[in-house]
Amino acid sequence: MTGLFTSEWAEQVRAAVDQGPAEDVRAGKLPSYWQWIENVRAVYSSSWALGVRDLAGAGPHYLRLGWKDGICAEASITGPDDPLQATYVLAADLATWRDLLGGEDPGRIVMYRRLRLEEGDVVRFFRGIYFFVESIAVIGRVPARLP
Amino acid sequence: MFPGKGVRPMAEMSREKIAAVEESALDQIHDIDIDDVIDYVHKDLKRLPGYMDLYRRYLRQRWDVYDLDFAQDARDWTERMTQEERDAFVAISSGFHHGERQVEVELPVFMLGGSEESRIYMSSQIEDEARHTVFFDRFYREVVGLPGESVQEVLDASFEHVSETFVGPFGLLAYQADELRADPDDLAARVRYGTTYFLWIEGVLALSVMKITLSYCRDRGFLPGYYAGFTATCRDEARHVQFGMRFLREAVQSDPRLLSQIHETLRTILAINGATSRRVMLEALGWSAEEVRRLMIRQLTMKLTDVGIGLPPDLQRMIAGIQPELAGG
Ligand SMILES: [Fe+2]
Ligand SMILES: [Fe+2]
Repeated sequence: MTGLFTSEWAEQVRAAVDQGPAEDVRAGKLPSYWQWIENVRAVYSSSWALGVRDLAGAGPHYLRLGWKDGICAEASITGPDDPLQATYVLAADLATWRDLLGGEDPGRIVMYRRLRLEEGDVVRFFRGIYFFVESIAVIGRVPARLP
Repeated sequence: MFPGKGVRPMAEMSREKIAAVEESALDQIHDIDIDDVIDYVHKDLKRLPGYMDLYRRYLRQRWDVYDLDFAQDARDWTERMTQEERDAFVAISSGFHHGERQVEVELPVFMLGGSEESRIYMSSQIEDEARHTVFFDRFYREVVGLPGESVQEVLDASFEHVSETFVGPFGLLAYQADELRADPDDLAARVRYGTTYFLWIEGVLALSVMKITLSYCRDRGFLPGYYAGFTATCRDEARHVQFGMRFLREAVQSDPRLLSQIHETLRTILAINGATSRRVMLEALGWSAEEVRRLMIRQLTMKLTDVGIGLPPDLQRMIAGIQPELAGG
C-alpha cells in the first residue's frame, strides 16, 4: 500500500479519478445524476489542490490534480516549501482524510466544512460540485497508508 | 389530483385571514391553511416591513417547540400511513432535518455584519432556526422512531435518507458562510450568501416542501403535531424571507452593480438544480414532478418580480428548466 501524499499515491489517485466511479457505485444513483457529472466533466479544465493541514508533523501537503478538457492530466504532491498554484485550493485535517479513507460520505465532509475552500471562487467552484464530490469519493477508495 | 395545484393565484388576503395567520397561538394553528401562510409570505413583498417590525413580530409569534404533542402523529405513522407514504415523507423531511441544522449554524456569521437593526433581527432568526432543528429532532425521535442520544445522533440516523444533491445548495451555503467569515461586512459576499440562503433555500426550497408536506397532512387528516409545528415554522419562514428580500433589495438599491452577484449565484444554483440522484415518490403524497416544478418556478419568480430583481435571458431559460428539489431550512 502506498503512503498518503506520496507521488506513487498521487499517480494512483490520478488514474482512479480519471477512470471515474465503479459500476457498483454508479448503480446506486440515477443515470441523470451521472449524466450531469459527465456534462460538467467534458469541458472541465480547472485544477484542485487538496491539502492536509499537517501531515503528522511534516507540515501542510497538497495533492494537485490538473484537469484538461475532462481528462485528469496530471497529479503531483506539493510540500510545505513548494509553490502552490491551483484554481481551487482546499484543505482538511488529517483526521478528515482518515475518515474519508474509512468510507465517510464526502458530501457530508463538505456540508460540515471539514474540507474548506481556502482559495478560489466559491460560486464557480460549486458549478461542478457533484463532479468534485464524486471524485473525492473515488480518492477515498484508493487504498493508502496513513502516517 | 388537484388541477393547477401549487399555482393558486395570489388573492388579496382578507383582514380576518391576515389576523388568523399573524395571531394564532400554537394550539390554534391547525385551523390555518398552508396556502394562507404562503400568501402571507408574499403579501408584503412589495412594501417590505422593516427589520425592527419583523423583530417585534417574532416576539409575538415565537412558539414553544416542547408544547407540541406528537402522540397522534406516532399512531398515524404506524397505523394509518402506507409504507410508500412513509418513505416519501421521510425522503422529503430528511432534507429539511439537515437543512434546519445547516441554516442554523451558518447564520451567526451573517449577523456579524450589517446595521444594528439587522443584527437584532438576526438574533431572532438564529433562535427560530435552532427551534426548527429541535422540531425535526422531536419528529424523528417520537414519530419516525429514529434512535439517538444526542441531536447529532438523530441527524446521523436520518442522513441515509438525504439526497446526494443536498450538498449542492447547502454545501454552497456552508462555503459562502466561510467566505463571509473573512469579512462579515463584505456586501458582495453578503449578497451572494443572501441569494443562496434567503431567496433559494428559504424562498423556494423550504416553501415548496412546506406546501407539499402540509397539504398532504391536511388533505389526509394525518400528523396533527407535525402540521401545527411545521405551519408555525412556515409562519417564521415568512419573516425570514421578508427580511432576506428586504436585504437584497436594499443592497441592490445602494449599489446596482450588486445585481450581478445575485445573477452569478443564481447561475450556480440553477446549474446544480438539474442534477437528481434519487427518485422521490411524490405521487405517494399526491404530487407530480411537474406540479412541484411549477410550484418552485412560481415561488422564485414571484419573489424576483416583487422585489424588482430583473433577469438576463440565460437565467430566464434556466428558471424555465427548474427540476424538483426537496430540502429546506
Ligand atoms: Fe428560515
Ligand atoms: Fe427554519
